[in-house]
Amino acid sequence: MSPASGDAFELLAEKAGFREFRLKANGLRVLLLQNRVAPVATFAVVYHVGSRNEAVGYTGATHLLEHLMFKGTPEFDRSKGTAVAAVLEALGARFNATTWFDRTNYYETIPSDALETALAIEASRMRRAHLRDEDRVPEMTVVRNEFERGENSPFQVLYKETFATAFREHPYHHPTIGWRADIEGVSTARLREFYDTFYHPNNATAMLIGDFDEAEALASIARRFGPIPASPRPIPEVYTTEPPQEGERRFVVRRAGEVAWCGLSWRTVAARHADTPALAVLGNILGGGITSRLHQALVEKSLALSMTVVPWQLRDPALFSVFAPVRPGVEPAQVEATIRQEIARVAADSVTEAECEKARTQIEAEVIFDRDSSDQIAASLSEAIAVADWQWYADYPAAIRRVTPADVQRVVLAYLHDDGLTVGTYVPKPSAGNGAEASAEEA
Amino acid sequence: MTAPAAAPARRLFAESVRHRTLGNGARLFVLENRFNPTLALSGSFQAGRLYAPADRRLVASVTAGELMKGTGRRTKLQLAEDLESRAASLSFASDLGDPVGVDVVGSALSRDVDLLLDALVEVLRSPVFPAEELDKEKKRLVGAIRQQQEQTSLRAYESAMRRIYPASHPLHRPTGAERIGKVEALDRGMLEAFYAARYGAASLALVVVGDVEADRVLDRLEAGLGSWKPGPAPAIPQPGVPPAVPGAETVRLADKANADVVLAMPSDLVRTDADFLPCSLANSALGQSSLTSRLGVRVRDTEGLTYGIHSSFSATHVPGPFVVSLTVKPESRDAALDATLDEIGKYVRGGMTDKELAEEKSSRIGRFKVDLGSNSGIAQALDAAIYYGFGVAYLDEFPGKVAAVTKAEADAAFARRVRPEAFTVVSAGTF
Repeated sequence: MSPASGDAFELLAEKAGFREFRLKANGLRVLLLQNRVAPVATFAVVYHVGSRNEAVGYTGATHLLEHLMFKGTPEFDRSKGTAVAAVLEALGARFNATTWFDRTNYYETIPSDALETALAIEASRMRRAHLRDEDRVPEMTVVRNEFERGENSPFQVLYKETFATAFREHPYHHPTIGWRADIEGVSTARLREFYDTFYHPNNATAMLIGDFDEAEALASIARRFGPIPASPRPIPEVYTTEPPQEGERRFVVRRAGEVAWCGLSWRTVAARHADTPALAVLGNILGGGITSRLHQALVEKSLALSMTVVPWQLRDPALFSVFAPVRPGVEPAQVEATIRQEIARVAADSVTEAECEKARTQIEAEVIFDRDSSDQIAASLSEAIAVADWQWYADYPAAIRRVTPADVQRVVLAYLHDDGLTVGTYVPKPSAGNGAEASAEEA
Repeated sequence: MTAPAAAPARRLFAESVRHRTLGNGARLFVLENRFNPTLALSGSFQAGRLYAPADRRLVASVTAGELMKGTGRRTKLQLAEDLESRAASLSFASDLGDPVGVDVVGSALSRDVDLLLDALVEVLRSPVFPAEELDKEKKRLVGAIRQQQEQTSLRAYESAMRRIYPASHPLHRPTGAERIGKVEALDRGMLEAFYAARYGAASLALVVVGDVEADRVLDRLEAGLGSWKPGPAPAIPQPGVPPAVPGAETVRLADKANADVVLAMPSDLVRTDADFLPCSLANSALGQSSLTSRLGVRVRDTEGLTYGIHSSFSATHVPGPFVVSLTVKPESRDAALDATLDEIGKYVRGGMTDKELAEEKSSRIGRFKVDLGSNSGIAQALDAAIYYGFGVAYLDEFPGKVAAVTKAEADAAFARRVRPEAFTVVSAGTF
């Protein structure tokens, strides 16, 4: 580390190749991981703000704001020929931004000699985004079309309704993209207020992964981000918690379509909880590949077309979900009953050590495969620091390795019971307009 | 902690990739890349829908998909158990976009390289296509086709392909009802016959990249594949380019908040054509990115009419269509379509600006480096270069080839192939 950057940063911790620093001037966390597979690096900034920080009236604000962050700053401005996306595109960068329940992230994977440009863009838009009404108006309709695309997907409709039903008080109730009326109605001033509340260096983690020189990178980060002041006020905490669920909840969505879907979701724990690794292992035993229990029970028995198991890992207590498109001709109730039977089988008889070992191996391998490329590590790390911290990611393989069949059975008994269950069914309504030949010539 | 050494200057691919051609024609390529204890496998052979009977094209994709359903030595479940228990994966697919090839994709931790290579050899050489597995797959396929019928994007694309390509063409797309009928008529004899006729080593190319010993991998693959039948010699009968079919069609689906619009026309562009790179750069400036291309800036960024708009040439060994696709709120379709066609018309008439060409070149060269940032990225790039007959050295030469494209070449190549008045326009949604 150079003397200059050494003065600017405090080294907080290091483990498994990661080094975590704190920029003394403003509290920005900086996470470095050298991974010199290729002359490529990924720079990402994760803001600790997501739809979890929203409420009715401005649901979707985090996501709409993320879109507006591409509309420019004084330094990166379309009118000057330096639009954010155009500058990154010309570098050949793989870049984007995403919003989720607990975080918003901005990332660029670039040839490593272009790192300075990525740092300049992210430093500029941390506090200097234009956020103009003339940008919000057309971007709102872009986002609304994104919302509409989601509404076309039975799976997305099902999981959105699942969260809205399972969470009544906690903001996980709201979809990240927002409710339609809020997307349309939120004002630019409200978005500005959101930006001014959450977009500060002390509410962000910057990460640099790949091919870089540590001393040079830290010096550049200090130069670009150091002058940005910390937030004038403390970042607001979310204090709303979801009370225990006291009985099964059910919902049905009926829309025109061809294929029914079935979803079962149980209330579980926050990612940091000690039971998270056992729930992850359970997820793979039930849904990890052709040999998994639910694939065998649903797909191999021709009850479902496929199935997905999601042990959601979020900052606050979340869900353990199973979703399946039902094969036409099969009743969704049969798929639901089969899923329940498989859960009951684990509750009664546990799982085998061989199943547990396979699941542990698969999850450990995912972490090793992550290291194949800087953007894969950045993606996994972004999720980890949003729901816990980077050390949680670094420790994850060891925590998975410690999971036993008894742990898997215990978490099923503790969480996958009917009182914490939400069952959703997407029922296709027959429609005369949906036939394969329903086309009209307009030549 | 000691900082890792800097990424070394990359040696030329032409010098660092080990290569062996077997007596039966199979071509094997291995690149040692020891930064992470993993390996990526990518490969292909000529057994796609182009080679299937015109009234039964799907036999190609089903045969490829059923390869993993059991061999002379292992059942589907045993094979899956052996791979999944080691977090290894292996798959075969013949997709709609490329009528010629079957893609082979695999990955494993490097400790399991033998497991992956042995499974690959076994599956290629001795699939048994169990009847009960095909029955299950037919049920799943019928359900999946019905599921596709509710997707506006697929419905728009498929209708466009049905309009612009005649039924005999490998890119023609039958209706959902027709496809369900074809699935139900499949039997394992058809798969066995297609396998016997089309599968073999002569057109097979395999690329392995990762933390492996090249000679060991080559030896093991040669031991497994060296005695495999050559099968048919590589040959690619050209299906021809039909004339454009201008017109419009609406596929009406109920309860769809979003509509998809596809503009398509046949093109004569193939991947091996000298015009491919100029056309590809010209297309990038027009419509590769929803954020930065002309279509993206106009239809999304300025007018707010779409979340996503893209244009592309589908050029493989055989010529495919030029397609522009966008998503819209149904009420915005006409405005979005007008803006799209207006922008394409201006672009065809005026060509790229010098600045656009310079930015697209810079972007393409930078993205090329970024895409080579993983074992799988390198494996895919090598596989594509070999598949199209460019050779390994193409990866070394690519930046120079991009840099050499002129504005005149790009404008002329694009304008020769894209005519706004020739589009078939299909909208799918609730109208």
